[in-house]
Amino acid sequence: MSTEFKLRRVGDLALVTIDNGEDWTKPSTFGREALESLERTLDEVESQEWAGLVLTGKPYVFAVGADIDAFPNVTPDLARAGSRAGHELFLRLRVLPFPTLAAINGAALGGGLEIALHCDHRAIARSVRHVGTPEVFLGLFPAWGGTQLLPRLIGAASAVKVVVSNPLRQNRMLDAQKALELGIVDVVLEDVEFLDDSIAYLRSGPTRREEADLSDTDEVLRRARDELMGPARSPQVALDLIEGAPTWSLADGYRAEEDAIAGLLPEPQAQNSIYSFNLVERRQKKGVGVPDAKPRRIEKVGIVGAGLMATQLATLFLKRLEVPLVIRDLSQEIVDRSLVEIRGEMQARKPFLATIVSGTTGWDGFEDCDLVLEAVVEELGVKQEVFATLRELAPNAILASNTSSLSLAEMGADVGLHFFNPVAVLPLVEIVRHDETSDEALATAWDVCKKLRKRGVVVHDAPGFVVNRVLTRMTSVLMDSLEHGNTVAETDEAIVSLGMPMAPSVLLQLVGPRVANHVLETMHEAYPDRFPLSPTLANYADGKDEIVIAGDRHRTVDEIQEAVLEALADEIRHLLDEGVVREAADVDTCLLLGAGWPFFLGGITPHLEQRGYSLAQTSVR
Amino acid sequence: MREVYFVDGVRTAFGKAGPKGLFWRTRADDMAVKAVRELVRRNPEIPVERIGDVIMAATAQVGDQGLTLGRDVGLLAGLPETVPGFAVDRMCAGALTAVTAGAGEIAWGAADVVLAGGVEHMGHHPMGEDVDFNPRFITERIVDESAATMGATAENLHDRFAEITKDDADAFAVRSQQRAAAAWENGVMRETVVPMSVFTEDGWALAARDEFLRPDTTLEGIADLRTPFRAGGRVTAGNSAGLTDGATAAFLASGEAVEELGLEPRLRLVGFAYAGVEPELMGIGPVPATQRVLERHGLTLDDVGLFELNEPFAVQVLTWCRELGVDPDDERLNPYGGAIACGHPLAATGVRLIAQLAYGMRERDVRYGLTALCIGMGMGAAVLWERA
Repeated sequence: MSTEFKLRRVGDLALVTIDNGEDWTKPSTFGREALESLERTLDEVESQEWAGLVLTGKPYVFAVGADIDAFPNVTPDLARAGSRAGHELFLRLRVLPFPTLAAINGAALGGGLEIALHCDHRAIARSVRHVGTPEVFLGLFPAWGGTQLLPRLIGAASAVKVVVSNPLRQNRMLDAQKALELGIVDVVLEDVEFLDDSIAYLRSGPTRREEADLSDTDEVLRRARDELMGPARSPQVALDLIEGAPTWSLADGYRAEEDAIAGLLPEPQAQNSIYSFNLVERRQKKGVGVPDAKPRRIEKVGIVGAGLMATQLATLFLKRLEVPLVIRDLSQEIVDRSLVEIRGEMQARKPFLATIVSGTTGWDGFEDCDLVLEAVVEELGVKQEVFATLRELAPNAILASNTSSLSLAEMGADVGLHFFNPVAVLPLVEIVRHDETSDEALATAWDVCKKLRKRGVVVHDAPGFVVNRVLTRMTSVLMDSLEHGNTVAETDEAIVSLGMPMAPSVLLQLVGPRVANHVLETMHEAYPDRFPLSPTLANYADGKDEIVIAGDRHRTVDEIQEAVLEALADEIRHLLDEGVVREAADVDTCLLLGAGWPFFLGGITPHLEQRGYSLAQTSVR
Repeated sequence: MREVYFVDGVRTAFGKAGPKGLFWRTRADDMAVKAVRELVRRNPEIPVERIGDVIMAATAQVGDQGLTLGRDVGLLAGLPETVPGFAVDRMCAGALTAVTAGAGEIAWGAADVVLAGGVEHMGHHPMGEDVDFNPRFITERIVDESAATMGATAENLHDRFAEITKDDADAFAVRSQQRAAAAWENGVMRETVVPMSVFTEDGWALAARDEFLRPDTTLEGIADLRTPFRAGGRVTAGNSAGLTDGATAAFLASGEAVEELGLEPRLRLVGFAYAGVEPELMGIGPVPATQRVLERHGLTLDDVGLFELNEPFAVQVLTWCRELGVDPDDERLNPYGGAIACGHPLAATGVRLIAQLAYGMRERDVRYGLTALCIGMGMGAAVLWERA
């Protein structure tokens, strides 16, 4: 059901509830019908006498903004009309001739917050944890008055933080207390009698906040622009609009928002961002390719390996699954060090968990594990031995490997669970199936990922899977450029200007050149034509910072970027041809969640298409 | 204020909740009726029309425990229409609360004799079954989620009191079983348990003995039981009370009524206290309750000759021992075993404790005794008695 603005008379007050008739799992959004409902409600409000108006949401939700399902393929005219319709209606709320209060009882995001900004006062319930304008995160900006009202209310610096900086920091949101500190709301009230208290607050005749001092706007904006990097347009546009706020009338500011959204929303960056949002927030969560089998109940976990990655994994499994866990490594010293680290972290959280983790240099404690995750050195022979032992020792356990590039089928694992380093930061897990992977193992892997609060994407067993394969192909092109006369600064620039979160030279140090070269060797073995060995990367791996020049063919930064895109398109075509993924959307999901590639590129495949690189599958295996 | 006396108390045998349990086909209110009729029968000095109120406790006040139990049970037990009744709920301390509420009526002179008890058919009413938890508990972080699962709160106790190990809990459980086994050989159960005929899958049967008794329990036998509330946890079916069906009933009387009717009361009510604690650590509730009631009456633990504590979980009793400085092996503590061995039909248990305490205080010739229980959502109850 679409969102309605339900009006009720409570004595001399107008009480308006934003309600889409669903429970809290489906928050109220503003689409065309919602705006029509708001218009009818305003007509009714304006035709009667009131002492005041309270605007609030259904239980646990205030409103979470525009209905993004209306955004794909929108024309500039439609984008402008949508922004204007909101402006006109919200302004009618703003000029009502009696005091108005937004009683923010739950999530207030984007347009939800913007409608609240059009009230004279704002009260918020203490437990609210989602206040903000995430539009910039989606390649947009708050276009229902947010860029104009927020600076007037809280000043330029705070407005920049809410509108631009927070969305760019993994879409950070404000809780009630933060919203109060910034001045977005006037008062925090307890949940238990929130609406009654909100009404009493309005009746107490609160004074309106004074408009903020905007004299520092130019200075604030200069600094904000200095910090922005990359080609993303929406942060720039949002900053321009905030910059205009002190000089424009509200009407002029709203016209500026309408013009800007007409230019931005239909463009690839915003459209790609909405595509990305749908992949990450909807499609991935459905579990594409996950069989409808009952997942195994996991009551004990074994981790083979106790190195850096294995320790991170053990910590995650223990923290989230809260079941007994045993780690194993060949050296007692490594086991002990890992146990100290894991237990230390558990002591601070739930001391009980520190008592259910144990370590061994043998195999004691693995026999009754329901799930064993192998995270030892990336050598096929070693892994084969591990799985042969485990198969005999714990024949009923689901055996998984965290290999980053080797074949699951060859090593004898049931399924792959490929986590990304640092485990605590990157949400992706490539759930790797091979031809022998059972439905139960796959369903269990998916279920475990969910419980770990990680984001699983099912891919088929093939060297490097998706993320490492794509990244390594990119690295190959970059190494080739370095070996033909380009500088590291140039190769970095080619990638950063594309909008990647990190310069490749920095990323290489983070991953470790040794690991990167090892993956390249694995890829080379499988696909020698597309993944030539790089003497330069081999040097890096050996700790030698020396580029091996193979010839002189200097490319411009743009040429390097084109070469990278062409190679990526080629590799993704191969991924599709081989059936490693079912759809390009899987590749994009992996790159968004596992490599942090930007929303506005749509992962990468929408951007490739927009740059003229076709992903149409060329051959059938 | 008038003095309040505990005259007598009786219970049904306690059965295992569920389709395999003895009471599966027996109504909860019929079980309470059985306890009430037995109580009335063996106290002929009390004319039933003198009963001023019938107070019956149940945690789940729905279905066969749903019709204002005190009144329902009074009528079904054949008490005169003129005898009123009502129902109370304080989860595990239901019967104890029925007793203290009845004591209030007597102390105020509103009643001379009160019939108080409780019933819980956990087979028909699994814990929390019809409860619709207010989502505010979680959204506003009012309580930890584990507070709603009693076994999880027991695991939390092990966390908080890390020096109390699973072995300690198991050892206490074994002792409870051994003491209960011995108790069934002596007079305490004969005096406090009334056999009841019950219809079962295999025809009529007599429920005369607690179904949870495991006299042959050993440490080794329960060491490897599953820990259902937490993988790798410490709380097992072996060191906690099972889900139970049972009913209890007791007579309370004023000093005047004792004299007038020539009653031989067992105990005099000294005082009682309820206390609130962290809901996720509900098991420590009896600690502040015990401290409060002793303090209020100027007594110390050394003055108390007998303790009847409920045993929902061994760790729960052990935290009480630790906090109050009582040795878990102390002969004054649960001499006839506890709920680990006999079961814990939530709102019925309180009267079992008092009846056994009365028996034990007479046997041991001690002056003061204490009954105490922990209560879900973070409470404790303690009632202090003196031999009459």
